[in-house]
Amino acid sequence: MQSDIVISTEGLTKIFERGKKREVVALDSVDLEIRRGEVFGLLGPNGAGKTTLIRILVGLLTPTEGSAKVLGRDVVEEIDEIREKVALLPQEAGVYDRLTARENLVYYGGLYGISEEALNKRADDLLDLVGLRDREDYQVKGFSGGMKRKVLVARALIIEPEIVFMDEPTTGVDTLGARVVRNVLRRLSSEEKRTIILTTHDLNEVSELCDRVGILNEGKLVAVGKPSELEEKFKAANLEEVFTGLVTGEGVYGGVDR
Amino acid sequence: MKIPALNVKTVWMLKKEIKEVLRSRWLILGFIISPMFAWFFQGAFLSFIVAQTSEEPEMVYITIEDDGVWGRTLYEQIYANRAILLIDPLVNVTRAEGEALVAEKTVSVWVWVPENFTVELNTTTTSTMVIWVNSGNFRAQAAAARLDRFSRDVIDSFIVIRDLNVNWYTISPEANYGHSLAIFLVMLTSVLAPAPYVGRSFAGEREKHTLEALLVVPMSRLKILGSKLAAGLILLLIYSLFTAVGILTYNLSIILRVANYPPDIRDLNINIYTVNVQTIPLIIFCQLLVLLCAIGIGIVISCLAKDQATAESVNNMVMLVPTFVIGILGFTGSILQYSGAFGFFILAIPFTHAILFLNAVLSGVGTPIGLLGNVAYLIGFTVVFLIIGAKLFEREAIIN
Repeated sequence: MQSDIVISTEGLTKIFERGKKREVVALDSVDLEIRRGEVFGLLGPNGAGKTTLIRILVGLLTPTEGSAKVLGRDVVEEIDEIREKVALLPQEAGVYDRLTARENLVYYGGLYGISEEALNKRADDLLDLVGLRDREDYQVKGFSGGMKRKVLVARALIIEPEIVFMDEPTTGVDTLGARVVRNVLRRLSSEEKRTIILTTHDLNEVSELCDRVGILNEGKLVAVGKPSELEEKFKAANLEEVFTGLVTGEGVYGGVDR
Repeated sequence: MKIPALNVKTVWMLKKEIKEVLRSRWLILGFIISPMFAWFFQGAFLSFIVAQTSEEPEMVYITIEDDGVWGRTLYEQIYANRAILLIDPLVNVTRAEGEALVAEKTVSVWVWVPENFTVELNTTTTSTMVIWVNSGNFRAQAAAARLDRFSRDVIDSFIVIRDLNVNWYTISPEANYGHSLAIFLVMLTSVLAPAPYVGRSFAGEREKHTLEALLVVPMSRLKILGSKLAAGLILLLIYSLFTAVGILTYNLSIILRVANYPPDIRDLNINIYTVNVQTIPLIIFCQLLVLLCAIGIGIVISCLAKDQATAESVNNMVMLVPTFVIGILGFTGSILQYSGAFGFFILAIPFTHAILFLNAVLSGVGTPIGLLGNVAYLIGFTVVFLIIGAKLFEREAIIN
């Protein structure tokens, strides 16, 4: 039987050394659990540790202290097995400009050892899904930023991952494009029951999409829960008030250790 | 039979890398144009030399101090055959004037027949005439060589048992660079050729934010690095192929250039200036070693550089400085003439061994141990840099 918890961290800490004397604590003893099939929103101001957390969970960084498991496997010891089943859409992701939209998708899937036939079939569906089927054979160097972002979203999904890490997937995408991306995420969650870890600065997006959120501030996980639970706990009118209060220390009346 | 996943992934990466290069007009042109350019340039340069040495007349100064029969005969024969010898004009000067011209380096060829020339021939059956030549001037060298041969023929035809020594002196030894330029050009283009690919493939991935997603695919970083390296080698085979085309085109240009010469001069020029086709595989082999070494260094630089432009700039600087140092040294004499710390420094530069190897192969003077040493050093240097590159590629900081 598959475990309900697909991501768990215990005392996860990451310290970057900047020169010989200076250290930056990017993550500070983060304990977190994310369940299968949920859309989990990671919130926090710039530099709060959201990207660092995701990078540790996909094996790009190793933790300084603590441990993390993805799909029941340790991110340090068993990262190869984890990588077969997770996809990452990085914050500042790029596409291969000289490849076509379809080639970008198929190439990425090929690196996971998936057959070309299966990849082309999946690419058909995904290009339809993000509305780029009519441009699939165009080199993406001529695409707008929003179109490239759609290619990236489709690329992340071509491997049919169990968990998708999306670092600000709608940043730089126009309103219509953002709606397409949100619809894709909604479908992944509701129809395909995939787990999505999403970072974003758009709190409306979080309210609309996320089952639960975690708020990071200065490397610490200062709150976790459903948006409605957090609003109730911190006696706030909406998630924005919760977020602002936790990050700035103003206007929130719940007792939070900071 | 199912191909192992690793091989499938590597093939995907190779296909993508090559596809991207083939769609990059300037990159592919660079792989084709630079080797062709090097050999076209050499062909044009040596065609110019052929013309200079076989068609263009040279001004020759001559001093006949000997008032005996053989000095006078030699002068009369040279004067009578000056059109064949491509001498125009033949200028008589005194010994003092000739020495002054040499001191001032304002003469290309000065022939001096000493005053005891006839006496020595008559008494010892051997005499000496002296030629001063500016060895940096191909036309002057060719004129001096013709005079040398002609004078021996004249003396031998009149007195069969007698002999003539011709002492050659160089007016400007520092100008003696000649054909080193060819090897230098081959080296230079080979050293610089991989820079755009390596820069784009490593630093370019980081700059365009494609590296982070690439590093989370289920492939070890070493395999990713290896796949990119393999793609680079395939691309460099294109470079080598066009080097071979360039050499053959170069040979053809020389053959066409001398086609209308008299058979003996035509054959002489073809022998001197064309590249023996049998040596092409060796040249390509040496070039691949240089390219591989340049890739190794390029990967290290690309893993440290922030973006593609920085990687290419630093790469060019790092490659050009030692290449120019050994290139310039090669023009002024043997690379191996230096000793001590400087000599050690010169030998530490991997491309020194490529030049030594190519020189030895092209001139046919290489020994198996020497050539093996050159090859081993280049391969060893490359392996060390690839290991350093792999270590750098595995750092966490590579994604930042």
